[in-house]
Amino acid sequence: MSGDAIAVHVDGVSKRFSHRVKGEVYAARDVRLAVAPGEFLTLLGPSGCGKTTTLRMIAGFETPDEGRIRFGDQDVTSLPANQRNIGFVFQNYALFPHLSVADNVAYGLHVRALPAGEIEARVRDVLQLVGLAGYEHQFSSQLSGGEQQRVALARAIVIRPRVLLFDEPLSNLDAKLRVQMRTEIRDLQRRLAITTVYVTHDQEEAMAVSDRIAVMSAGSVVQEGTAEDLYYRPGSEFVATFVGRINLVPARLLGVDGDVATVEALGASLRARASAAVSRAGTAVRLVLRPESIEIVAAAGATLTAVVRSRMFLGEKTEYTLACGDITLQAVRHSASGVEHADEGATVGLRLADGALTVLPERDG
Amino acid sequence: MLLARVVMDNGTFSAAGLDKVLTDRNQLRAFWNSLLLATLVGIGGTLLGFLFAFTAARARLPRWLLTTVDAAVLLPLVSPPFTTAIAMIFSFGPRGLITYELLGIKGVTVYGLTSTLASETFTYFPIAYLTLRPLLTAIDSNVEGMARSLGASRWRVFRTVTVPLTIPGIANAFLLLFAASLADFATPLILAGNQFPVLPTQAYLQITGLFDLRGGAALSFVLLLPALIVFVLQRYWVSRRFYVTVTGKGAGQTTFDSVSPGVRVALLSACALVTLVVVYFYALLLYASLVMALGANHAFTLLHYKAIFTGGMQAIRDTLLIAAFAMPLGGLYGILMGYLVARKEFFGRRTLELLSMVNYALPGTIVGIAYLIAFNDEPLVLTGTALIIVACYVFRYGPTGIRATIALLSQIDKSLEEASQGLGARSGTTFRRVTLPLIAPAFFAGLGIVFIRSMTAISATIFLVSIGWTLITVKILENMTELALGPAAAFSVFVVVVVFAVIAAIGWCMRRLHAPGATRVTSLLS
Repeated sequence: MSGDAIAVHVDGVSKRFSHRVKGEVYAARDVRLAVAPGEFLTLLGPSGCGKTTTLRMIAGFETPDEGRIRFGDQDVTSLPANQRNIGFVFQNYALFPHLSVADNVAYGLHVRALPAGEIEARVRDVLQLVGLAGYEHQFSSQLSGGEQQRVALARAIVIRPRVLLFDEPLSNLDAKLRVQMRTEIRDLQRRLAITTVYVTHDQEEAMAVSDRIAVMSAGSVVQEGTAEDLYYRPGSEFVATFVGRINLVPARLLGVDGDVATVEALGASLRARASAAVSRAGTAVRLVLRPESIEIVAAAGATLTAVVRSRMFLGEKTEYTLACGDITLQAVRHSASGVEHADEGATVGLRLADGALTVLPERDG
Repeated sequence: MLLARVVMDNGTFSAAGLDKVLTDRNQLRAFWNSLLLATLVGIGGTLLGFLFAFTAARARLPRWLLTTVDAAVLLPLVSPPFTTAIAMIFSFGPRGLITYELLGIKGVTVYGLTSTLASETFTYFPIAYLTLRPLLTAIDSNVEGMARSLGASRWRVFRTVTVPLTIPGIANAFLLLFAASLADFATPLILAGNQFPVLPTQAYLQITGLFDLRGGAALSFVLLLPALIVFVLQRYWVSRRFYVTVTGKGAGQTTFDSVSPGVRVALLSACALVTLVVVYFYALLLYASLVMALGANHAFTLLHYKAIFTGGMQAIRDTLLIAAFAMPLGGLYGILMGYLVARKEFFGRRTLELLSMVNYALPGTIVGIAYLIAFNDEPLVLTGTALIIVACYVFRYGPTGIRATIALLSQIDKSLEEASQGLGARSGTTFRRVTLPLIAPAFFAGLGIVFIRSMTAISATIFLVSIGWTLITVKILENMTELALGPAAAFSVFVVVVVFAVIAAIGWCMRRLHAPGATRVTSLLS
């Protein structure tokens, strides 16, 4: 099914809503995105950040107040949804309750007035593809959540859309199924090579499926990049806290050399990656410290020491709460990475893994 | 409950007179006429109701317009049964405003199928509107959006998604209208005339004109059959076919743009036209109540109002008194029965529910005659007392409260009550502190409906009034037959004003409650 994938461009798109209390509010504000042909881009953010509005504008369910949207070379900004040739998957599946599985999937093909034989063949193929062969005559009320989601997926891809759009497709599924389905969606998208925009508030899900992630907050894109970029090089506290868990430690900037900063924090001098906004020596900054980059070692001879406040063994990993002076740190140690063992109340030494630290300015901005 | 049983027993009791009815050509014609009228009203009213419901749910009306439409549409529902009929005569009668004054047509006859059909359609289409609107609103806008993203045009989405999803509601609306028309006795009595006899009026004439209780009962029994079929269809066929379209989290704040600007204007114009007709009817009624004699003498006067507040005072007092008694009883009956049926397990639970609903679903004529027969002899001689009218109202219109209570309780998870018990509350305390506040909206819905019906009903109670106790609606009918249209109009205006005031008061109470589901139940005030 892989055809010629197209790029999707969102150029400075804004959407305003009138709010009963707050008056005019921006649901999306000057959003700029460039999705490469065949790329899987995820819009990640908390609820109300404008990710769904942006997606619905790409789909054509909403018309932007400002800005343009292009599919390849075509400006689709004012093109109605039914002429955009998109595949959309809703969080609540939005299956037609009065139609069988086969008729649900065939709906878009009937609209395109394809010959009956071809419709039948394509419905059969796509149901096979999503693992629902034999479900043709069932109704959505007879299907489980995961099965309904597969029907929705089949219905969206059977029309061979130019762009595939997902609006929190896994939110209504239970945790195990969610993990399984996201792998399937990822594999399917790779196989079909359809340009895809995916919306979720679950950072782990975003990291699992995406080529690239755009983190949104308050209607705007705040940072864009691969999962690794966002995780190791967050540009703001918002991104740092939203993507993964962090410890945020107050620090003082001693000096910057290229993109390496030297800071004083936790009573020690540490080297960290400097974000662009940090430059002046002597200023107060914040240090981003990932829980898994704190290593627990013997207290003797360590530059940093801490007291173990609590310890929680979770099988594959152990989580610690540590008191380092008057600062509380969260640390995660994987069971395979060593046998260091610290009881509650014990004093331990800490070692920070290289390249694990990022410096952020005192205030986001 | 005994009362409901008697209604059922009425069937066997009166079966003896059946052959007579079935062999009488005239009565047979009335039977077919009734069915024809009911079918046409069902179709016309459902179409009109769908038009309004679709416009309200999809055309993105500004709030004030929606409120206006709602109020105009509700008017016929809270009016005494003759209002549109009176307005029809004022407009199209021999000296009607439109036929005579405007078009100069003389000797026109307003009586017959067409006028009855038009009048009943305008009176009952709000039922279809209230049935269909929540359904259309509840359709997940994502489902329609999905169809659109798959390439379907708006018209195609409407045809292949919206309408199929509404089919159960449409069937339901049709059946409700069919039943309402079948049971309507007031409109045909005034408009159908000799040319178009229908069953409920025949039964009435049989009893009040010929004092033939048995014949009347038999006639109404013939009516029972289609009424029961409709009831059964509605309960066991339609109700199973509703699609559950609400899945998981709501579809979000945005609605799908399903109506193009051109269609929107067309829809609005159509609705505006119908609303205008309804408003015109009521304006005419108000006007007629304020002039000497519409069509002859248009001098302003308050004479008709003076007449109803002097000569008609007894009826007004009686009606208000009976309504005031029936209202709290009906409300309590509704929530108690609803609570029992929804939350408690006991022998005969389903039967109890069914019986209470039957009282509600049967045409008023049948219920009235049944009460008349049941309480005419020992051990309970109630005929002629106010009590029989109150009882009739409570048991006939209380079921709205029952339905509302069941609907509310089915939304309220049982764990809420269990949580209260888990916190140490006894079951009595739990009922009082948790359950009761939650079903309070149903109580008010019950109050409202019983009051409205107490003010406006006629089909059942016309058989139950006496010299000692009479009702406004009956008075209106008397005025109509004596061609005293002025006082009839004045009475109608009075009833509409009182009912609107009470609904407004109940609405205000409900808003103060802030209970979940309060708004949903408001729609049951039909």
